[in-house]
Amino acid sequence: MSASTPPPPGQAEACRTGLPSAAAINSRHPFRPSRYHRPAAVAEAVELLDRHGPEARVIAGGTDLLLEAAPGVAVLVDANGLGLEGVRAGDGAVEIGATTRFAEIAASPLLQAAPYRALAQAAAAMGTPQIRNQATIGGNVCSAVPCGDSLPALLVLDAQLTVTGPSGERSVAVADFFRGARTNALGRGELLTGIRLPAHPGGTASAFVKKGRVAVGDLAVVNVASRLGLDGEGRCVDPRVAVGAVAATPLRLRGSEAALDGQPLRDEVLRRAAERAVDGIRPIDDIRASADYRRALVRVLVPGTVGDAAAAAGREQASSVPRPARGGP
Amino acid sequence: MDVSFQVNGRRRCVSARPHDRLVDVLRDDLGLREVKLSCGEGLCGACTVLVDGRPVSACMMLAVRADGAAITTVRGLAPDGELHPLQAQLIERGAVQCGYCTPGMILSAHALLERRSDPTEAEVRGALSGNLCRCTGYQQIVEAVLATARERRGAEPT
Repeated sequence: MSASTPPPPGQAEACRTGLPSAAAINSRHPFRPSRYHRPAAVAEAVELLDRHGPEARVIAGGTDLLLEAAPGVAVLVDANGLGLEGVRAGDGAVEIGATTRFAEIAASPLLQAAPYRALAQAAAAMGTPQIRNQATIGGNVCSAVPCGDSLPALLVLDAQLTVTGPSGERSVAVADFFRGARTNALGRGELLTGIRLPAHPGGTASAFVKKGRVAVGDLAVVNVASRLGLDGEGRCVDPRVAVGAVAATPLRLRGSEAALDGQPLRDEVLRRAAERAVDGIRPIDDIRASADYRRALVRVLVPGTVGDAAAAAGREQASSVPRPARGGP
Repeated sequence: MDVSFQVNGRRRCVSARPHDRLVDVLRDDLGLREVKLSCGEGLCGACTVLVDGRPVSACMMLAVRADGAAITTVRGLAPDGELHPLQAQLIERGAVQCGYCTPGMILSAHALLERRSDPTEAEVRGALSGNLCRCTGYQQIVEAVLATARERRGAEPT
């Protein structure tokens, strides 16, 4: 039994059985960037991206990049050395660095608080524990995949994205960032550097749910996020509902929001919100589920997350009622 | 390009191309075949290693990104050939059949026990949720992890 074609110089040799080694198999993979840079400052990263244009891709966790395996990628610009990690509170808002890992987002006490919890729940539902230790929220947002788990949560939280490029810094509403499947609003040389979650009034709460074929590790068949507040009479204030994996981009469900706005969250209101939830969604049949099943899921998951958010908002209200002073009448 | 990192406490240097995966560099360049390769897309966890103490799927990490990191494979948990308590419990409880998922399982479990001394069953299952096993049905693996946690706390492993 003769060995297979000798491996190219510098490459691992075939293993003892004569079969090619994993590295040899891997060398036939289309993803073959030839240059890797690890800039130490955002300005340097911007310069590299501007210089190389579509040939260059940012790598943070790399978990989507390696799956996408795009053959035209020649230059990798590593974003991990740019100091863009961390979740911080600042003038009522929450700032999240673009290269913050999903594991950190899921565990963040700031993001587990009721108004922002949809994002912590989304982060905990994404991938596997191993992937969550690598994948970043910036990568998830810029991948602009229809089923991205952080995307519906960011939509209902009115996130503002900080983008830095050759002309400086600009702020983009997350709702304006997704142009199509895997198509974002970044221009040449631009890099997502941060995500800002605006302050939400007290008594606001959000919730997220993801359904895949299996409990962990699958891409979403449907994912849904809701955010709302409750007024003194238990009526819904400023509701937001967003859904992913049912169109080329994540969508706000304006019909459901209209059905909820100003209403007490009784069964018939939730039913109306569920009926309106399928307005404007465009699910497809794919390997994970049929369009019909996705529509059925949306009708159930929307009132479900609205109910969860409302329960949390109710608890927020109850806990903020001032208690009588000790020794009072 | 030259990449230098620690593996199981020992400094190693390799020459890696930008697209080389950490799993291939560990297995083929460094001969660390205890790191298994299965799905190659970050779902099964067979290739799990610890990078700076955190479980990572080595098939989804580029080797160039490991520069300066401290990597632990299952070999690093049993220096001098003495079984790590997790390994002993897995063997004791019949939680190893083909053994292919086992190195990854051990590292994910070890990372959990380093930060939670008294995990619930749900927390153990959550920590192992990125490690797939086709043989055992997970029950004995979970029991072995819980028993190791009890042992470390000085309680009866039962």
